Amino acid sequence: MAPSFSDIVEEARLSARALLDYGDSFFNPTVRLGVTGLSRAGKTVFITALIHGLTRGGRFPIFEPYASGRIARARLEPQPDDAVPRFDYENHVRTLIEERRWPSSTVDISELRLVIDYQRQNGADRTLTIDIVDYPGEWLLDLPLLNKSFEQWSAESRALSREGPRAKLAAPWHEHLKTLDPEGRENEQAALAAAKLFTDYLRACRDERFAMSLLPPGRFLMPGNLAGSPALTFAPLDVAPDGSAPDGSLWAMMRRRYEAYKDVVVRPFFRDHFARLDRQIVLVDALAAFNAGPEALHDLEAALTGILDCFRIGRSTILSSLFRPRIDRILFAATKADHLHHQSHDRLEAVLRRAVAKAADHAEYAGAAIDVVALSAVRATREAQVARGREKLPSIIGTPAPGETANGEAFDGETEVATFPGDLPADPEELFNGGFRGLSSTASEQADFRFLRFRPPLLERTANDEPALPHIRLDRVLQFLIGDRLQ
Amino acid sequence: MSEKTPHRRPATFKLDDPGVVVMSPDETGRPARGTVQITPEADPALLPVPIAAPRVLARRGFRWGALFWSAVGGLVLLASGLGAVNLIEDLFARSETLGYVALAFAVAAALALAVVIGREAFGLARLAAIEKLHQRATEALRSDDRAESRAIVNDLLKLAHQNPQLARARAALVSHADDIIDGADMIKLAERELLAPLDEEARRLVSTAAQRVSVVTAVSPRALIDVLFVFVAAMRLIRQLARLYGGRPGTLGMLRLLRHVIGHLAITGGMAVGDSLVQQMLGHGIAAKLSQRLGEGVLNGLLTARLGLAAIDVTRPLPFTALPRPALGDLAKDLLRKRDDEA
Repeated sequence: MAPSFSDIVEEARLSARALLDYGDSFFNPTVRLGVTGLSRAGKTVFITALIHGLTRGGRFPIFEPYASGRIARARLEPQPDDAVPRFDYENHVRTLIEERRWPSSTVDISELRLVIDYQRQNGADRTLTIDIVDYPGEWLLDLPLLNKSFEQWSAESRALSREGPRAKLAAPWHEHLKTLDPEGRENEQAALAAAKLFTDYLRACRDERFAMSLLPPGRFLMPGNLAGSPALTFAPLDVAPDGSAPDGSLWAMMRRRYEAYKDVVVRPFFRDHFARLDRQIVLVDALAAFNAGPEALHDLEAALTGILDCFRIGRSTILSSLFRPRIDRILFAATKADHLHHQSHDRLEAVLRRAVAKAADHAEYAGAAIDVVALSAVRATREAQVARGREKLPSIIGTPAPGETANGEAFDGETEVATFPGDLPADPEELFNGGFRGLSSTASEQADFRFLRFRPPLLERTANDEPALPHIRLDRVLQFLIGDRLQ
Repeated sequence: MSEKTPHRRPATFKLDDPGVVVMSPDETGRPARGTVQITPEADPALLPVPIAAPRVLARRGFRWGALFWSAVGGLVLLASGLGAVNLIEDLFARSETLGYVALAFAVAAALALAVVIGREAFGLARLAAIEKLHQRATEALRSDDRAESRAIVNDLLKLAHQNPQLARARAALVSHADDIIDGADMIKLAERELLAPLDEEARRLVSTAAQRVSVVTAVSPRALIDVLFVFVAAMRLIRQLARLYGGRPGTLGMLRLLRHVIGHLAITGGMAVGDSLVQQMLGHGIAAKLSQRLGEGVLNGLLTARLGLAAIDVTRPLPFTALPRPALGDLAKDLLRKRDDEA
């Protein structure tokens, strides 16, 4: 597709902004940390744990500037954008520590600025500013739409909705789609009904049993402040990918709204928060996909590949940082690693490495540094060996969230259980070849994996201070992402 | 996990289930048949993580001393080439360029000499400042003077600023500056915050040097080599300690330090008989019976350690109050343990 006029304007805007930022960064070194992850990947918890650890003091032996004492302190500062809500760090910490609940899912964008006072290895006093943005993970799914026309998107959505377990969920929408005539007159009621049925189908796909990831457009699931507006009232139609829409037709109306959605919603979101990142962490909840089945795993892979294509990754040069900032370090993290015994962490990392192989190869080729870790920003479990007869199972002990079930028993949120979630195979290909059964195709007793959701850990509160949150490899993540900027 | 085992199915056990027994890791008894035993494991995240020992600060700027010697060497070279008697004039007579070169060397030599002298003076002043600080702190500890203790802590912070590893400790200390803390307590707080990591490092330095001396003594073929080595090691140790605690002694500064250390050693030498050295020597008398060289080695090591402790007392900007003074016994234990590990 030849670049359109609006694309060129967009590029010019991004370059101008990059130039401004570059000038600013001379006086005030800043790292824009992109916390990327689909919904329920754990972005909010990660950000909360990161801020808590740096400001209140955590156990970070691997994070060299912190462990060697060169970081004097870290503090929160007013954020740069006045129009964006503040990340509600204090509330999230309270939810985690006092109520022992995970923060509820993010419904709108928020931002926070963290300033680190440190001393360089050569003795000079410096500060480093880190800007972090939290947003609903669903919105991320919109980024690949920027390069697609309405017709392309319609064709892809229809094809996708006929695959595997989706076909059953999409049946009502398919029925309605048959009654629509794309070339007929535009009809607001038909559009409303189609959008509603399409949204219902997307929402059904998110159920824990299916755990699908590739569900654009994201604002349909998490509308934010746009609920009910025309920009959200459209749906794919049964139209030819290369046809053109007659004036005044339903097709033309849908296409207009799709383009409006891209212009009004997606582009500003990308421009304000993703076009200027320096460092990126991609949080991936692979365990939910293991629970659900091979289809969910493939879906996750496709969604990640599509999203990561949208970022500008590569080695930074002076010219690039002037006009086209690039991400020069990218870290893939399999979150919720505390739901597995640490012996299995290597295998979890192997699965993630396989799932993001395309994006990682691309990034490495472009000169960016990459790393893959199994991460738990807030560790909710302990480890244990369970002996059952002759069998020894490397297990974890934790308190399952109320309503979780296992062996047909529902938990009340108070009992501790030891659970063995199932062996991950040594070769990740086995999983991607569909060699396991998940909740999408079988009853929970037959599934090959069962990862329970645990409540946050019970922490002992010291006399005057909030306790440090336990974690797994958060220090390694910090060292990789910002360690080199604190030399 | 072995590769051969087939995929194991997920399983979940309630801890309060009657069929489940929770065992502690060191329990060995076999519980009843048919029960499920759960053994919580030591938390790998809470095990101590080895952190690379912090490097002693080794900052080197431009090497003016080297420049001085090279410049002087250049001059000597020129002189021996053309004859030393009327060097500069002759050079100008023969060729103006060479003359200027010689002149330039002369100027550079003079400049470098001035810088070296300046550094010596600076180093001496700094040592004097640390000594002064030590005395003032001793006085403030006795008088419990708040204003004076703030001034001392401020000076101490300036001194500690060159050590990046103390950034957090300094920030913690600064955050307490406005709290209501009495003079002596303030100095004790400063000592705990700022000097604890340095003391640790100092102890390590002393025991390393002592160990090195004892090993070399035990294996060296001639007494002369022993003496030489002990002297070099002692000088090196004193210099390292002075740097660690914020001093930057040059050559003159070292001489002065050495005098103080030996003086200190002479004063406290009498006490050595009273403390554990006697037992150490008795013990090592037995070692000497077994092997004369081994005994000598251990004794030399202990003497180096004593010297190191004296040097710590002299170079440390605050007296030991809140933190324990490292004792010879601890160091001797370090020394012997290392010896055992190596054996």
